Amino acid sequence: MSAADFGAAGPVLVFAGGACLIVVVDLFRYLGGRALAWLGAIVALASTAVAIAGGPGPAGFGGSLARDGATIFFTVLIGIVTAAALLLGAGYVTREQLPPAEVTTLVLFSASGAVLMLSAGDLLVLFLGLELLSLPLYVLTGLQHGRTHGDEGALKYFLLGAAISAVLLYGIALLYAATGTIAYEGLGRATRNPLYLAGLSLVLAGLAFKAALVPFHAWAPDAYESAPTPVTAQMAVVAKVAAFGALLRLVAATRSGDAGLDWEVALATVAALSIVIANLSALGQRRVKRLLAYSSISHAGFIAMAAAAVGALAAPAVAFYLAVYAALTFGAFAVVALLANDDPTLDDLAGLARRRPLLVGAFGMFLFGLTGFPPTAGFIAKLYVFEVAARGQLLWLVAIGVLASVVSAAYYLRVLLACFAAPLEGAPVVPRARVGTAIVVLAALAVLIVGIVPGPLLDAAQGVRF
Amino acid sequence: MAADMLIVPLVAALACLLPIGALARALAVASGLIVALVAGADAWGLYRSAPADPADALVWAAPLGASFSLGSDGFSGALLVLGGVLFAVGAAASDGVAAPRAYFATWCLLQAAVSGVFVARDLIVFFVFWEAMLVPLALLMWQWGGSDRRAATFRFLLYTMAGSALLLLGIVALGIGARTFDLARLAAYRLSPSSQVIFALLFLAAFAVKLPLFPFHAWLPRAYSAAPVPVALVLSGIVAKTAVYGIARICLVLFPIGMSLLAPYLVALATVGTLYGALLATRQRDTRGLIAFASLSHLNLIGLAVFLATPAGLQAALLASVSHGLVVAALFLLAAALARRLGDHSFGPGGLSAGAPVFVSFMTLAIVAAIGVPGTSGFAGEFLILAAAVERFPGAGAVATLVVIGAAVYGLSFLRNAFFGPVSITGSDLGWRERGLLIPVLVLVFVLGVAPRLVTDLAVPPTASAPASTGR
Repeated sequence: MSAADFGAAGPVLVFAGGACLIVVVDLFRYLGGRALAWLGAIVALASTAVAIAGGPGPAGFGGSLARDGATIFFTVLIGIVTAAALLLGAGYVTREQLPPAEVTTLVLFSASGAVLMLSAGDLLVLFLGLELLSLPLYVLTGLQHGRTHGDEGALKYFLLGAAISAVLLYGIALLYAATGTIAYEGLGRATRNPLYLAGLSLVLAGLAFKAALVPFHAWAPDAYESAPTPVTAQMAVVAKVAAFGALLRLVAATRSGDAGLDWEVALATVAALSIVIANLSALGQRRVKRLLAYSSISHAGFIAMAAAAVGALAAPAVAFYLAVYAALTFGAFAVVALLANDDPTLDDLAGLARRRPLLVGAFGMFLFGLTGFPPTAGFIAKLYVFEVAARGQLLWLVAIGVLASVVSAAYYLRVLLACFAAPLEGAPVVPRARVGTAIVVLAALAVLIVGIVPGPLLDAAQGVRF
Repeated sequence: MAADMLIVPLVAALACLLPIGALARALAVASGLIVALVAGADAWGLYRSAPADPADALVWAAPLGASFSLGSDGFSGALLVLGGVLFAVGAAASDGVAAPRAYFATWCLLQAAVSGVFVARDLIVFFVFWEAMLVPLALLMWQWGGSDRRAATFRFLLYTMAGSALLLLGIVALGIGARTFDLARLAAYRLSPSSQVIFALLFLAAFAVKLPLFPFHAWLPRAYSAAPVPVALVLSGIVAKTAVYGIARICLVLFPIGMSLLAPYLVALATVGTLYGALLATRQRDTRGLIAFASLSHLNLIGLAVFLATPAGLQAALLASVSHGLVVAALFLLAAALARRLGDHSFGPGGLSAGAPVFVSFMTLAIVAAIGVPGTSGFAGEFLILAAAVERFPGAGAVATLVVIGAAVYGLSFLRNAFFGPVSITGSDLGWRERGLLIPVLVLVFVLGVAPRLVTDLAVPPTASAPASTGR
């Protein structure tokens, strides 16, 4: 391996190496669950540091592993979210008596898969990353064996995920048949033919599944509900970042060459479907985790809206939206994770405002942000996406997005209002969690600060170009 | 400078979070008065034709094409002064609220957002402040409101958000087309008449709900009744005026042709609205309901004046806006005083006049101003509006004139019912604190009634110098 290879693979290696390290450390039983979680968080932040310190450079492994502004931005995002999820999960894992080392290891492996997937420069690395991301998530989803929906959600997720992996692999095979190469560069040089288009559509379907875009979203509400909530928070963000990172890179590669594919119609359709269907489905939800799952599907639609307006401007908008979405969605799930009942219905939230005002304040910030209210970062992100889509002549899509935001206000506000209802008799006491509360408050502050001073994050997102 | 209008209330809001106890209210009052004084001085400077103050611009979100640019002119100056006065009066009238520091911090945030709407010179910044008004307003209604507060807040939020969604769509489409969000540069950007109509409708969706123009008023009576009295006071007195400002200084400036094509329909709606409000006001047996529908009537009349798009119409609209703000403040203060004596806001046959001479005379003055008797600012505003309306749309103007009759009916029958009936209830006269709040407001009402030019002259510079150069 050359220096370029090491540079490109650095963050992936740190994640995977750290995961192995934790397995080894756990053999000696020196460290408790909390210490392991902290160790895992340090590994995740170290990976972030490696990505930043390395900076952009030449691609490794003959172009199979990219190392550019996009990989750095997304790796930092994944690292921070993973670290926060592990710290958030420390108390949760102890309380629910889950195996701490296994949880930490699997979370780190899935993060390494995510980074691999979005840096992929050829189709096999893409597949490798996708599987490395997904397999740990299947296991994590089914960890809480015997809970109401636990097994069902995990099984659905695994079966559908395995099926879509097969679809993706078939797509890769078709592309190889059509072009004789698996490198992205080669895809750009190909000419249009039915085999090529069929292969690309299947690969697109695979990525849309990971991003939970309609019509490939059916697993998301079940999986999000059955997974341990800190894991839900992590996978809702990391899987989407990886899927959209990979998607943008693939789109950029196939747009450039003779094929000159116009992805606009496909992505715009998926975006419109996601936004409309997810928002309408969320309206009827009374379980908070399912509601947030539909919310994350609708936000995937907004991100796809920006991606549909392909061009130099699209990538920074996608990156900015993903960063803001990460803080908002992670934060909202984190609040749920800190409750006594971590799969609450709206009624279970009653009285929370009186007992834990700080938590509800942060929750309010996330929900307002998800709605897209100024002065939260959610507004700036939505505005950016709308502007990019409008530049791409997709005003009809902007109109759908704007109206869907109003609909979404109805269900987000309902969640917030539920926290202010009078407390029920005999409701379980909300456990104190200092680290978890600190993470939630920090995320809420970030949402507010980026909403008021969006400049620095906007500038950082400009580095994401393909 | 325009930025002061934001900094002062924001600093006050932050200071309210410190453990300063009862000082929070004094701080909120001071913030309102400072904004009123600074804006007044600015507006006076403009009136004396001092050099225009350049907009303060700041790079804010460059990739979005938005810059944080602020500036004010005579029109916004007059509304800023009104806002400052009303926020000070409202804060002073908020006694005995639970969790005072949170209340006054939210109050000051609302003031900052409202001031921001008046000074924003960039459409994105305008929209940010426009939406930012909603959160503190909803919080104040939700947390400190009356019995119906939850449902009323929900309805208010959904109505206004539906309107602002279309506004956002319009802003994005316009800004991307014109490659700028700066109001001054947008004013020079000319659209075809048909797209002007479409954009005007998108922008008007937000303004019509906030005003509220008939038939977008379904949220209004419940919100006025559910909100705490000081919040209802600013909601009607100044928040509704952000819509007047938006129509006058954004729609009319950016889409002059579209607005003039739409004018007949809008004027017709406003005419119906003003009569409908007056008619419903005569049927109310609750002071807040009475004020709600009387306000609906007045606000639609102001909307009518703006839709005329003539200099006389804009002058009249500005004067009537300021006048309505002051009068409605006096009415809400008096309604609260009445409710403190009667136990609730309903009024039936009863004769308070016997034991409360000052109360009844203040109430009479406020009602007289509300129904537009000469000598009060209400008369000046209403007269100028009707005169301007008759000039442009004689038919609508003639019909709208009927509102004077309706106003006399609801105003005078309220006075007779609550104060001059058989002496069946007794209540103490107004206390000194209540008088102290009412006297300045009523004095302003009469000053403007005698010297309306103090306000109307402020509306002149933008209208006199043709639309192209107005978006300074």
